[in-house]
Amino acid sequence: MLSRIADSMYWLNRYVERSEGLLRMLHTSYVLSLDKGPYGFNTWRPMLQIFAGLPETSIHKLENNPTEAVCLLLLDTKNLNSLKVNLNRARENARGMQDHITKEVWEQVNHLYHLVNNPKTEQQLKSNDALAAIELLLKNCLLYTGITDSTMPRGMSWSFMSLGKYIERCLVTIDMADRHYQTIGYDLSQSKDILYWRSLLFSLSGYEFHLKNYRSTDYNYNVAHQVIFNPLFPHSIMYSLTRLKKYLDDAVRENNPAEKYSLLKQFGRLYSNVEFADFDWIKRSGLPDYLKETRSNLLQFSRALSQSFFSYS
Amino acid sequence: MTAEELLMGYARSHSWDEMMAIDSIRVPYQNLLQSIGQLSVENLRQKDVLAGELFMSQGITFTVYSDNAGIERIFPFDILPRIITGSEWEQIESGIKQRLRALNLFLKDVYHEQQIIKDNIIPAWLIASCPHFTREVFGIDVPYDIYVHISGIDLIRGEDGKFFILEDNLRTPSGVSYMLENREVTKRLFSDLLSANNVRMVNNYPLLLHSILLSLSPRPVSNPTAVILTPGIFNSAYYEHTFLARQMGVPLVEGRDLVVSNHKVFMKTTHGLEQVDVIYRRIDDEFLDPLVFRPDSILGVPGLMGAYRKGAVAIVNAVGNGVADDKAIYAYVPDMIRYYLNEEPILPNVPTYLMNDPGSREYVFNNISNMVLKRTNQSGGYGMLMGNNASEEEINKFKTEVEKNPRDFIAQPIIQLSTVPCFIDGKFKPRHVDLRPYALCGPAGIEIVPGGLTRVALREGSLVVNSSQGGGSKDTWVVDL
Repeated sequence: MLSRIADSMYWLNRYVERSEGLLRMLHTSYVLSLDKGPYGFNTWRPMLQIFAGLPETSIHKLENNPTEAVCLLLLDTKNLNSLKVNLNRARENARGMQDHITKEVWEQVNHLYHLVNNPKTEQQLKSNDALAAIELLLKNCLLYTGITDSTMPRGMSWSFMSLGKYIERCLVTIDMADRHYQTIGYDLSQSKDILYWRSLLFSLSGYEFHLKNYRSTDYNYNVAHQVIFNPLFPHSIMYSLTRLKKYLDDAVRENNPAEKYSLLKQFGRLYSNVEFADFDWIKRSGLPDYLKETRSNLLQFSRALSQSFFSYS
Repeated sequence: MTAEELLMGYARSHSWDEMMAIDSIRVPYQNLLQSIGQLSVENLRQKDVLAGELFMSQGITFTVYSDNAGIERIFPFDILPRIITGSEWEQIESGIKQRLRALNLFLKDVYHEQQIIKDNIIPAWLIASCPHFTREVFGIDVPYDIYVHISGIDLIRGEDGKFFILEDNLRTPSGVSYMLENREVTKRLFSDLLSANNVRMVNNYPLLLHSILLSLSPRPVSNPTAVILTPGIFNSAYYEHTFLARQMGVPLVEGRDLVVSNHKVFMKTTHGLEQVDVIYRRIDDEFLDPLVFRPDSILGVPGLMGAYRKGAVAIVNAVGNGVADDKAIYAYVPDMIRYYLNEEPILPNVPTYLMNDPGSREYVFNNISNMVLKRTNQSGGYGMLMGNNASEEEINKFKTEVEKNPRDFIAQPIIQLSTVPCFIDGKFKPRHVDLRPYALCGPAGIEIVPGGLTRVALREGSLVVNSSQGGGSKDTWVVDL
């Protein structure tokens, strides 16, 4: 497979996965911002910090202004991480490899692109019917995942698409978890109630999962277990790393790149740091450093991956 | 609705109409008309809409940019097929084959011994002044001495129905995907008619092309690697590039996917470098290699011409072909046929006046209302003047330009292209057409899929069929009666 095509496969899925994460968190924030709970209103601060990278002064201005925050996060092309920019890039990638993706996948990417660029979407987001527009966008991102899953052949293209998807998913999980634990000072021994954790759990599509699987009220501890270690939760760090392991093995076996040992070792370190960790281990370095280290190892791995497979320009 | 009703008000002009003789319907169209006569106008309209939807949903579109927002449009398609009989086709086929044999010999000659110049058939200054005469490829031997692997030679029919060659496209002729897609759409619209009319098939074109590409491989290996080299997604023919890549199952690469090392061409893959043997390039010569041609080109591959000169890679079509489809050289093709093949041309040229000749220039200027003036190095319907409907001012402006650089212009008498019926606003109306058959030339000889792309000037009375000037296309049937 051409390196450029592999690169496009990888980034197509990264951009759509990022869009999905953005939309789900946005949807959650929007809904929760309507309720005044025991911790006051949810502000747009965490979202703006994760997805827009704004300076403190701008965040302060926007955090209590839902319409402007939503427009900045979804439509503003000056925000290089907005939904519109993500989906435009996803389509650029798809266009350059139309002969390698199925017709159905191409049509769905195209549909997403037209949806986010449609002037009606902007009108709707600025009206009091914004939630419907956000839901439609989110649903179409999910549809993309389903269409990809049921039409793409399971060859190298699938491996590179999946590598992109799970690297991105893992990053989104780490960022969101970090932001929520930061607010409570990374304290696992105390226990915020479930109302506090709804925001994170809804954003990762794991609220019901939590209610079904965790009985005790040590919420701070339980939520951390769910998002870091639970192998059955599809947005946990562990789950993403397990999938990455499989697709990395497939890609290495098929292509046999020169740097394969260093690549596999690098991934092995990242993987075992989660696979063989427990809370005692995490306590030794502290939760913030543990998350930070996992994140930077993951980024390093993604750079090594592109050096091995995508270096064409 | 009967055939008579459909034809009501079908106004014949003084050009040759391919369906209507003076007072009767020509034989090849009788079957078609009878079957279509059984459909209602509403039914035909539905088919017209369906055709548009089929093109749109498959993404066979080009992008028009306005207000910074891209709008996707389809190329207009007329649902009525254009019919050519088997015997007419034999003449076209043999004429094009003859012409291509001569043009291939000319290209070999002009980049090697240049006998045709030494024998005073074509003046040296004329060749030297061709912008596409490429000194960089002088002396390069190409596989099997084939230069023109893929050509699209445009034909027209004059007032008496005779075929003429209008121009030769020997560099990167486009449109073949439309020929193939038009047929697929017609299969959906008039499935019963195709089989009932004995229409010859066209859909083996990609297979023929693929086998020719593989046969050109300089490396004697069982599975050589052929690729299509595209300028990228912003090229207006990008759809065609992906179409051909899909149909042949070969990689579609961009310049940045390729690298030259030790005079060999490789593509960069996830498992390292993979040698490329044959490149079907859809990039113009001057962008191919920044080390030899335009240094600012980022579409090409540095070092590609070095590998080509060494014979380590085959490039399709050969580099430098532009000298043979220059509009001034065109006038000499009949002489080439006589010189190289010792045969009389089967298909005649349109009479052509080179404007650097003072006598011709004077004649053309005196008869300008019957003349079309063309720039020798432009295509696509740009840079031309139709003397019959240009204003005094336009004519004078063009004349001044001609006098400044007479070598850059030719003139031809305006030929009333033949007309065929089109389904427009619920009626049959005559519109002017040309024909571009696609010929493939490989070591085993020349193959032309029967038919080609019929381009039609959809504006009433217009003689310009280019898509940039309001042209559309039609499916083209070669039928055995």
